[in-house]
Formats: sequence, structure tokens, C-alpha cells
Amino acid sequence: MQLTNNETRRASIRRRAVLAAAATVLTSFAAFPTLGLAADSGRPLVVARDMDLNSLDPARAFCDTCQIYLSSVYDRLVDLSPDNKSIVPMLAKEWSASDDSTVITFKLDPNAKFSDGSQVEAKDVKWTLERLKNIKGGIAYILDNVQSIETPDEATVVVTLTAPNSEFVGSLTAPYAGIINSDVVAEQGGNAGADAATTDTAEQWLLANSAGAGPFVLESYSPSQELRLKRNENYWGKKPAVAEFIFLQSKDAVSQTQLLESGSADIAMQVDPTTAKNITNEDIIVETQPSPNMVYIALSPGAKNLAHPLDAKVREAIASAIDYDGIIDLTVDGKAIRLPAPIPVGFPGGGVGEPIKYDVEKAKALMAEAGAADGFKLDATFPNVNQYGVDYTLMMQKIQQDLAEINIELELAPVEFSVWREKVNGDGIPMTAVFFAPDYYGSSQYAQYFAMMDGTVWYKRAGGAADPALANPETPKMLADALAAPSDKSAELFEKLAAVMANDHIILPILSPEAVFAFRKGISGLRFSACCNMVLADIKAE
Amino acid sequence: MSIVVGARAHWMKNLTLRPALVAGLLIVGFWIVVALTIDVWTVYDPLKIVARKLQAPSLQHWLGTDALGRDVMTRTLYGVRYSLSISFVVVVCSVVIGSLVGALAGFFGGWTDSVLMRLVDVTLAFPPVLLAMAVAASLGPGLQNAAIAVIVVWWPVYARLMRGQVLDVISRDHIEAARAGGASSFRLLTKHILPLSWTPTIISATMDFGQVVLLAASLSFIGLGAQPPAPEWGAMISDGASHFYSWWIAFGPGMAILMLGLGFNFIGDALRDILDPREH
Repeated sequence: MQLTNNETRRASIRRRAVLAAAATVLTSFAAFPTLGLAADSGRPLVVARDMDLNSLDPARAFCDTCQIYLSSVYDRLVDLSPDNKSIVPMLAKEWSASDDSTVITFKLDPNAKFSDGSQVEAKDVKWTLERLKNIKGGIAYILDNVQSIETPDEATVVVTLTAPNSEFVGSLTAPYAGIINSDVVAEQGGNAGADAATTDTAEQWLLANSAGAGPFVLESYSPSQELRLKRNENYWGKKPAVAEFIFLQSKDAVSQTQLLESGSADIAMQVDPTTAKNITNEDIIVETQPSPNMVYIALSPGAKNLAHPLDAKVREAIASAIDYDGIIDLTVDGKAIRLPAPIPVGFPGGGVGEPIKYDVEKAKALMAEAGAADGFKLDATFPNVNQYGVDYTLMMQKIQQDLAEINIELELAPVEFSVWREKVNGDGIPMTAVFFAPDYYGSSQYAQYFAMMDGTVWYKRAGGAADPALANPETPKMLADALAAPSDKSAELFEKLAAVMANDHIILPILSPEAVFAFRKGISGLRFSACCNMVLADIKAE
Repeated sequence: MSIVVGARAHWMKNLTLRPALVAGLLIVGFWIVVALTIDVWTVYDPLKIVARKLQAPSLQHWLGTDALGRDVMTRTLYGVRYSLSISFVVVVCSVVIGSLVGALAGFFGGWTDSVLMRLVDVTLAFPPVLLAMAVAASLGPGLQNAAIAVIVVWWPVYARLMRGQVLDVISRDHIEAARAGGASSFRLLTKHILPLSWTPTIISATMDFGQVVLLAASLSFIGLGAQPPAPEWGAMISDGASHFYSWWIAFGPGMAILMLGLGFNFIGDALRDILDPREH
């Protein structure tokens, strides 16, 4: 467009040069057909994304991009419907649980085929789940109370649990529970035995190949560059509309926006609302959808070198002194909601009650009661990430100003994620900021990650080993009861558990952001799934 | 006596005839005055939220506000304290360490020379930015550690310079004479050699102020230098890069680095012309 405008303004003598330049530009675009605009629906869609992939092996991967990849390539026994609540059949056509929900029987769909055309059999399910459990990757805890997996016939899988768990079937919607073609992967070094963590050598092969029964297959993967998925032409279910997806590594919101505006990318999900406001191209649409993701602050009373103990009163004071609405406005332009407890809205027991109020006077009073009216210094090391549109350095500077009101001087230290992980699991960090995305619909994952009871990640990080008084003795029983109860009753029990977790003031939920989809006009079907992030199979392009 | 007076007159003449030197002195002088007096006349607090976030430049906020709602102009002016102090500390420490090593190597020669100069060669063999990053990363982020990192990178330059100069001076007749007269090594070095060897170091040091400002800002830009919320220029430009569409966030500190770097270079250039006898 600009070329034509310029052309009319220029003298005729220069016209030829301009035309030549235009021709060169057009030719060079034509040389990259995958990146230019085309009307053919068969063309690949390019997703600009900062890829946090740590592996492409379902048993080892654990990240947001992993959720998208695995759920597109490996079908699971069950899926989460678009309402983000109901569990619907996938490879398992039906399932039933014993009365005490300890024995669950899955019947496999006879039509289910892997991408190489072979039948999905019960032995594949058993092999996959045992491998997931024994490799002990990030998500293996969902199988912790599996006692045995039996395969009475080729199409039946019987899972026996050590304790009732009404959320067990739901947890199998997690992308990491995607069923693997056991014959193929076993040949490539795959192993599901008790010693799989050390003897399984299939990861390398799974970085270049896929062996699932999902709507897409892996075409190629170049770490830190791109990930290509192509349609599984043997897919046993409804074939996806888009033939190929290319994930292009793009670090931040600004570069993703520029790729979108220049037509080099079609979809971006990590464009924060502030940057999105600057998009001028009318062909780019920005949509937001509620998400179950969470950004939170965590306090660790057990961290080393505390200037003043982070006792219950001080923790409540800190929780009351944070200007949550101010942070939501600053970081994501108001495109987020607050959470009363570390369980997202819409999940069992989540979103009930009022979030803690921003009340500086109350916070000051609490500090005085705790004998800390004069304040103290507090180390706040945090990962220097931009997650779900929230710039952590920005958020922490705002919290630093908020806490200065109650005389707490935060010493901010943004660090690389790996450095952060080492410190938080080592000496502990008095105050830090993190994020959490669910892997399935269910609240037990929040209790098992955040609650102050033996065995959870944050009980350990908060210093539970040194100070067992942090633990609430009721919590393990509350969780067991919630999982044993029928689903209508279980939400109520999770609600009580959520209230206990909120009252600890160890995990302070700051916000639950809306998921952002920035995309080219003509693309539809983008949705955020509570298990699987973006669902590629549902995306259509004109 | 008349020689000294003549030299001074020559010096003064050179000074007044050089617009670049005057410009350099004005720029650097301006920033020094800002650094010393800003607390007295500043309108805003550089660390506090004073307005709505991401506002374009206006009469209230000459360089707009950043992503948190702090005044970019105020932060830019405060930022000079970090840049000036780090460049001063780094240059002084590097000159002292480097000159000492270079003088010893040049004066004693032999294996002292070999050991010290190989150390210099090894340090100089690394790309400076990479070495500074590695040192800063291993020490942990922070302005102090960034300063140490830059010193580690910077001192060998002066060592080489001083060694060459000492070698040049040491062969002169009056040194031979002093040596024959029984002067101790210490006396030879401090009274006879060093006073004649300073000029290139001083010129180089002046030019380096600007370079150090730049390197220190680079370390802060990648998160290894000043930590938030410090209004350090490199860190501010890094903020600006992630809020690309709000150009004014990086504009202030960017121009400030340019000005200060230019100022030091003007001064250094002029000093070289005046002091370096080989130029005449």
C-alpha cells in the first residue's frame, strides 16, 4: 500500500526504480510461502510463542507448551469438554467406578487407532500409565495412589486405587497421561518397569517422532527455533481443519505482536493486554477468555536468614497490605480477577467467599501486634519472567511500594528461572512470586501442591521440615474426605479446605488472568482448555 | 622557570581554542551538578508512583511515565548518580591496579614481566562484554558486583599502556644516571620513571569513562547490574524494550548515555591533543 502512495509522488524517472524494488520485495516474500498470506485453508498456521518445552516425552515433559503439544499428538483415555468441567470420552468409550470409587474400569473405543494405523489396546494404556508413574516426572503424583492396573482383555483396563479418589478419572485428562503406542516406543528404548526412571531411553526418539493416537503428529522439532505438527491423516476421530501448525520461537509480547502485524505469524497467546492495545492492524483480532491460571505470592516462614519471623500475624499483615486491584490494573490492564484462595474459580470449592481486603490500617495494626511496627527487610527473589501477561518485575516493584507502607523493605532480586528453582528448593525464599496452571479439572492438584501438609511442594518450600507447626493436622483428612465424597458433596468439602489454605496466608493469590488470543482475521475456534491450554484440533482457518 | 610558564601558556591557548573540549566539559559538568544537587530541586520521587502508567511526554512529565507510573525524567536525572559513580570507581581502580602491574612488569623485566604480562594477555584474550557478564553472573547481580566485573575486564589495558611507557622511559640517560648514582629501585620508579609515564594513561582513562558508562549500562540491561527499582540507565532501557510502543521510556536514559559518553570522549580527545607530545 505504501509503495503505491510513494510511487504517485515520485517523478517518473524514479518510478522504474521503485517498481524494481517492489518486485524484489514481492519476490523475496514469495520465497517464503509458509510465512506469507495465502487464502488456501491447507496452508500451515504459524503460532508465535515463547516455547518453554523441557521435553516432548509425555512422561518427562512438564510445561505450558508441553500441554499444547502433548494434547494434540497423544489422545488420552478421557477428555475435558469445552465447558472446562465435564469429562467426556476419548480413547475410553465408557468407564465405571466401584461404589467406593477405588476400582475404575475403562472400556476402550474399538475405533481408536494410533497414527501408524495400529489398534489402541489395553496393554498400551497399562504400559503408558505405569511408565508415567515410574519415570517420576513432574505430573507422576496423579498416579501416586494407583495400586494396580489390570488388562482383563484387549479393550478393558481396570485401575485399582489405594484410597477413594473421585477426581482420578478427571486427572487422566492431563496431557501427560496421553496414551503411547507401547510396541513402537518399547522398541526405541521405552521401559515401564519400576526402574524406568533410569532404564527408559526413549526420550531422544520422542524428540523427533511421535507415537500417539491424537489428531496431529510431530513433523519436526528444532529446540529454541520451531516445532512443526502435521495433521494425522489416520486420525480415528474428527479430522482437524488445519493441516499443519508451525510454532515459531518468539521471546516476548512485542516480537510476537510484530510477527502478527507483519503477517509472519497467525496466532500469538503471550501478548499482554497493554501491548495488545498498540496493535493498529485491523486484520488482527485480540480476544480474552477466562482462564484457571494463577499468579501468586508465596511466603516462607522457614526460609533462612529472616530479619523477623514471618509468623501468622505478619503474614496476614502482608496479605492485607497488597493493593491487588492496583496490581491487576498495572500489569494486565484490569483483565484478571481476584481469587479468595489458591483454587481457581469454577473448580470444586474455588472462587467462594471474598478475597482478602486491601486494608493498610489493619495491616499496620497487625504488624504492631506482632511487635514489628518498625518493620524489617525481606528478601524477595523471584523469576524474571513474563507469565500470562504479567511482568513479574513490574508486579514486584508495585508490591515493594505497597509493603513500604507497613515498613517492610523488600529487597527485589529478579533471577533466571533455574536460579530461582534452586534457591526456593534450597535455602528457601522469604517472599517470592510464582504462577500455576492446572493440568486437569479438579481441586486435589491444588491441595497436593499448596496445602500445608506433609508431602506438598509448598509445605516443604515454606519450611515445614524445620517447623512442623506450619502444618494443619486436619488437612490430610479434609482432602481424603473431599476425594471420597460424591461430587456434589465434594465441592463443599474442598471449599472448607480452600478456606484453611487461604487462612494460612502462605500462598497469596494475586490474580487469575484472562487468557489472551491475538490472531489473524478468519481464524476461529480458539479456546483455552483447563487441561490442555490451546486446543489445536478445534482451530479453523478460512 | 620560563619553560614552565611557556608550557602553561601553550596549554591555556589550547584549552580555549577547542570547542569540543568546552562542550565536553559543559556536558560532564552539567551531569556532575545534577548528580550532586538533584535532591534539592527534584519535583518527583524517582521510586514512587506519581501518575498513571505509560503516559506520553507532557508538561507535567517531560519524558512521560513508565510502566509503573514513575516519572521518566526524574529517573533519568537520578540515573546519572549510578553511572558517574560506577565509572569513577571502575576507572580509578583499573588505573591503579593496571598501572601498578604494568610498571612492575616494565621496570623489573625478566620473569616478573613474563608472568604479569601473560596474565594481562589471558584477560585481554576474552571478549570484554562476555568476560564482564561471566564475572557478574558468578558474583551475583548487583551494582557493586557489576563494578567489580568491569574492573576485572578493564585493568589490563592500563597495564599494557604503563609497561610500554616505563620501557620507553627506563632507557633514557637520566635514568641511567640516577641508577649509577645509587638510587634504589623504589626511588627510581617513583621519582624518575612514573612521573614521565602518566600521560597516555590519563588520556586513555578520560576516554574510558564513557566506555565504562556504556558497559555498566549493558550489564544492567541484561539484569546483572542495578536491581529494580533503581533508576539505572541500562535497566531503564531494558524496561523500555519490553514496553516497545511507549518509546519515551528508553528515550531519556538512551539520550543520557549518549550525552555522557560523548562528553567524556570530547574531553579525552582534546586532552590527547594537548598532552601527547607525539601529536605536536
